[in-house]
Amino acid sequence: MSNPATEAALNRSGLTISRRDDVAMTHVALRRGRRADLDARVSATLGLTLPDTSRTVEAAGQMAAWAGPEQWLVIGPQEAGTDPSAALAKALNGVASVVDVSDSRVIFRVRGASAADVLSLSMGIDLHDKAFKPGDVAITHASHLGVMVWRHADGQGYDFACARTYAVDFGHWLEDACSKRGVFA
Amino acid sequence: MRISCPHCGERALDEFSYLGDASVTRPDPAAADAADAFYTYAYERRNIAGPTQELWYHQAGCHAWLVVTRDTRTHEISDVKAAQDVALERVNSTTGAA
Repeated sequence: MSNPATEAALNRSGLTISRRDDVAMTHVALRRGRRADLDARVSATLGLTLPDTSRTVEAAGQMAAWAGPEQWLVIGPQEAGTDPSAALAKALNGVASVVDVSDSRVIFRVRGASAADVLSLSMGIDLHDKAFKPGDVAITHASHLGVMVWRHADGQGYDFACARTYAVDFGHWLEDACSKRGVFA
Repeated sequence: MRISCPHCGERALDEFSYLGDASVTRPDPAAADAADAFYTYAYERRNIAGPTQELWYHQAGCHAWLVVTRDTRTHEISDVKAAQDVALERVNSTTGAA
């Protein structure tokens, strides 16, 4: 953050923005007719049941987010010397197409009770409590950039996965939007 | 205009892109009358004032192709289905499969 005024406004907003750079992201797409096999192997490997609707599920530090029909984004810790995507590709060989997308996306995290108010300024989806509940996920755009967004289980924040190429731009927008807390929203 | 994606829920028009008529099917290029059939398929399109079936792509969302039933006079959308389901229904109805 280069601008002290923005920084001060952010501090007043009660919102925090961070980047999750310590995670591995893996895109999983079902192979036709292999759903039962995929469910069994995902359950054995990750201890998760893949959601059929736009939701996230979590178990033992791993999260699977619905990423479109018959597709999911699996997010877990990236520990040194490990390759979670390769391990998953091996476990799901033949039943799903597995791609390591850790280097193609960046996850931003926004925390704070008023997050929905400021994010609503530049997002088309309804972030109201009744419309976008904890654990809900949406693929949409924010500030004209394609994002996947999910609401934290405690309802107090959101994660945004956006293309790494747009990370700086998206980060600026987040800072700008959140620093407007109390001004426009 | 807003479209209710069967996967994502109701979204604004700027998340979708339009392709065209969803009621036509590509003819069999191996058929004896393929040239005539392709002429009809490519050029003899209807310009309906009323309910039409259109292909839309949820490009900024779930990346699914949709078949949208829209009234061209009022923009009222009466039905949205996943194009994959529509295509499978079509195949099943022609092959007699369940």
